[in-house]
Amino acid sequence: MKAIEVNNLSKLYPPNIRAVDDITFSIDLGEIFGLLGPNGAGKTTTLKAITTLGKPSSGTIKAFDIDIIESPQKARQMFGYVPQAVSADGDLTGYENLLIFAKLFYVNKNEREKRINNALKYMGLSDRSQDLVKHYSGGMMRRLEIAQALVNRPKVLFLDEPSIGLDPSSKRQVWEYIKKLNEEFGMTIVITTHDMLEADELCHRIAIMNSGKIAVIDTPHLLKKSIGGDIVSLSLQESGLKLSIPDELGLLIGNDDDRVLISTDNAEIAIPQIIRHFENNGSVVRSVTVNKLTLDDVFMKYARSSLQSQGTIKDNRSVRRSFARRGR
Amino acid sequence: MSRINEFYNFGYSALSIVEMEVRKIRHDSTELWTRGVQPALWLLLFGEVFNRVRDLSIPGYDYIQFLTPGVLAQSVLFIAIFYGITLVWERDVGLLTKLLSTPSPRSSIVVGKALAAGVRGVFQSLMVFTLAVFMGVNLRHNLLNVAGVFVVIILLAMCFSSFSMCLASMLKTREKMMGIGQMITMPLFFGSNAIYPITLMPPWLQSLSKLNPLTYVVDALRALLLTGDYSTIPEDIAFLSLITLVLVILASFSISRLLE
Repeated sequence: MKAIEVNNLSKLYPPNIRAVDDITFSIDLGEIFGLLGPNGAGKTTTLKAITTLGKPSSGTIKAFDIDIIESPQKARQMFGYVPQAVSADGDLTGYENLLIFAKLFYVNKNEREKRINNALKYMGLSDRSQDLVKHYSGGMMRRLEIAQALVNRPKVLFLDEPSIGLDPSSKRQVWEYIKKLNEEFGMTIVITTHDMLEADELCHRIAIMNSGKIAVIDTPHLLKKSIGGDIVSLSLQESGLKLSIPDELGLLIGNDDDRVLISTDNAEIAIPQIIRHFENNGSVVRSVTVNKLTLDDVFMKYARSSLQSQGTIKDNRSVRRSFARRGR
Repeated sequence: MSRINEFYNFGYSALSIVEMEVRKIRHDSTELWTRGVQPALWLLLFGEVFNRVRDLSIPGYDYIQFLTPGVLAQSVLFIAIFYGITLVWERDVGLLTKLLSTPSPRSSIVVGKALAAGVRGVFQSLMVFTLAVFMGVNLRHNLLNVAGVFVVIILLAMCFSSFSMCLASMLKTREKMMGIGQMITMPLFFGSNAIYPITLMPPWLQSLSKLNPLTYVVDALRALLLTGDYSTIPEDIAFLSLITLVLVILASFSISRLLE
């Protein structure tokens, strides 16, 4: 059984914009799944359809074999959702936020108080629990929202851009908590993000969306490998030599006047071996630089077409501006 | 069994929403107090001046007695008709998304919010009662009558706040809500028996005012607070409840449109 199964999902907005265009994918039990893509790729629309907050135009969605379009209430009982905007209620205290949403989630009354206090403690919010949330920092608000997940214990937790607008240390902290939710409670977690570092850090598998379709879906490691590995670039004492390297060290992809480029799966391990190889053959290595592949590169590859279309928006704007000038 | 469960859950969710609103009021109640200014002005300025006009009231009561239930109804109408703005604001900050992503039925959230408007209405009634006592306005203040007033006021607040929530899900912005709200409160107010008896109206306005829920509210309030003639109250309450039910159902279906 899969946690979430999406089949042929489409969402049309009138007149004929296909925000999501016939996508099919599934999310495994207990994994952290990332939905990536440029702005307007259809991530949020997909997430809304799965969380029953927006009706799809066609297609089916199942959560734990339950059709969520037929029984949205049953589905919502299994889901936790943390929207992109910070959604804790600023006019209530931290404790009250957890209490009310636990009630709306029908958390068992005998368990409720204990879970709320534990969650507050776990998230380091105990001493501020009686303060109004509007006096919290951004990171504390996010932590409060994750505390909500600890109280409600949904089977699947959806986070829409969980670390947007947070400072680097709060961001790290939120990542740690997300990982813990996944590891300690076996919670299936689905996140959307633009932040490739976040996706790489957290996700077991990611799907990159582009103009309403899923461009690619795989583990971060295999995705990086699929577009070629890390690039090691060496400068040697004498240039213009005819070089060769054994296959297990990597692939020689460039050898011009002063730089030798080698593509390899894992630069850290390969570099000492490559240097040894050259020195054994009598060449002196002067310097080494490494260009490690990141998910950014993967993202750029699969999201490219829509980045190009952003150019047309700019063109439109300049055309419009020139029209406005002429009108004056 | 599961039916009973559903009913229980529905009530539980609605009351949790009320609790949420009440807790917010408890943290900051300035809004409630400032709401008392408007009815005070109506009674102290408008009421005192028009008290000199004999024909405006109903026989046996002076104008300020006649006006008090009308002003009470009007001030609660104002609270309720702009209730949708809060909803739009909650949508903007992401709170509504979170509310609607809970397993609580949407209708229970709408009912809870409408009831919360009712709670504000009850507080408003208490302020108007106090004001009336200080101004020496003679009203029938026994406990049953006051309880009856609360029931009518809660229905009034539920009726127009769910109407406002329907509007919010169509208009979707605060600016439009302000505009439309202003546009409809005036005809609702002046097209009712709140500040003058229906018999003084031209015939076309008389027939329109009979479709206006506010007329039924004021009628019931006057019966409870002034005349003690309860014969029309069942009709008033039935009409109000019916309209409220329809509006709550409409709002429950339309509320999720706010997210699109």
